[in-house]
Amino acid sequence: MIATLRTVFMGTLFASLAAGCGSSVVLDPPTIPKPLMTTIPLSVGLRMPENFESFVHEEEVLGREQWTIDLGRSNAVFFAQLFGYMFETVTVVSEADDPSIMPFDALIEPSIDEFEFSVPNQTKTNDFAVWIRYRIKVYDRDGKLVVNWPVSAYGKSQTTVMGGKDALQRAAILAMRDAAALMIIKFDEPTLISSISSDPTSTAVPVEEGGEATAQATTLGGDNDE
Amino acid sequence: MNELWSSTVAYRLTLVCALLGVGAGCVTSRVEDAREGITGIASDESVVIMAKSYHLGNETEAKYIACIENALARGSKGLRVIPHKQFVDSLFPWFEPRTAPTETKGLPKLMERPGVAAQIHEQGVRYIIWLEGDTEKVAGGGSLSCAAGPGGGGCFGFAWWQNASDYNASVWDLEGLESAGTVSADVSGTSFLPALVVPIPLIARTQAAACKGLANQLRAFIISDELT
Repeated sequence: MIATLRTVFMGTLFASLAAGCGSSVVLDPPTIPKPLMTTIPLSVGLRMPENFESFVHEEEVLGREQWTIDLGRSNAVFFAQLFGYMFETVTVVSEADDPSIMPFDALIEPSIDEFEFSVPNQTKTNDFAVWIRYRIKVYDRDGKLVVNWPVSAYGKSQTTVMGGKDALQRAAILAMRDAAALMIIKFDEPTLISSISSDPTSTAVPVEEGGEATAQATTLGGDNDE
Repeated sequence: MNELWSSTVAYRLTLVCALLGVGAGCVTSRVEDAREGITGIASDESVVIMAKSYHLGNETEAKYIACIENALARGSKGLRVIPHKQFVDSLFPWFEPRTAPTETKGLPKLMERPGVAAQIHEQGVRYIIWLEGDTEKVAGGGSLSCAAGPGGGGCFGFAWWQNASDYNASVWDLEGLESAGTVSADVSGTSFLPALVVPIPLIARTQAAACKGLANQLRAFIISDELT
């Protein structure tokens, strides 16, 4: 009996110590305020990748501290909300849907290229920082890729009495909000979405699939893609 | 003679700090302002406290911003302060770290954006106060060791550290869309931790002193007594 109790106690102790070496952060879907902007008069379809419903990033910091950041549905909720504010009509379509038979002016496909973060141990500050590089692809009504735009976003938050998890969560939300600000300001540039007019006879210049250094992407991403 | 006087003064200063400060170290502070225009504020007008963007390398602590907000709003001469989060959200995305104007010459263009001027007017914001700066440990030394055993424990030794809190506030007048001037607070202080069995911390609260000093000076700067 004593041996069993000892085993249970030691097991619990080791489990606690092991848990102490790792941190897990779960992000609740953020909300962004209604932006002060003129709505872009386009009807768009929004096709989100599978991992926008359950994005998990795991990383071992300095070879000893395991961090798991679970963004969950944050990206799906965030982009639906953002584009809902930006465009006249937004319809979320699934991977199975055929957008060519739907009456959209354009189809937008966001994705995550990279996710990185830093913790105070690495930077010798009190700051948690998060970098997210999204990629926004826009297809015209003929299914041609007309925009291929990398959007780099950054958020930083200081450690509080609530602890590091809270700060990292806030840094991630600030990074998403940073991406939203950039997209709102730059999406309606002449070389981007405005080139896709609601007029069905207009044509946008297609860019090559996978070709990031396109004239359109360069013009847009140039100064602001930090 | 001078040396004797200095050491006496230093001794008295330390004693005063240790006894009267009730656990507080000594701080020295300098608060200055540089006025560029005439200020004043009506009872229905408000101010917003913002931190300069971390995209520009600024590290102003969130708790310092909250401290300035509270200190400015407090008292009989308290100002109407709009919480910065409320202000930033209401003007999304124009006051985000990436997009906020960095100098007053960007204000006219910003006011032309859809809804911006109306939103600022609705909240009665007359001044935006941009804070930059932070509190840093600039020096430290000494040694302190603690031990504990079955019969009890204790610490022995002496440690000290020096903090510097340097903050600068730029005041933008949204009525004239121009800079009204700057107010700065430079506070430094040394904290001591002597321990003879029990450690007795004598903490120099430089950030709190910088908050109080800057807020008082900002209030006087904005209210501009010569006009009232």
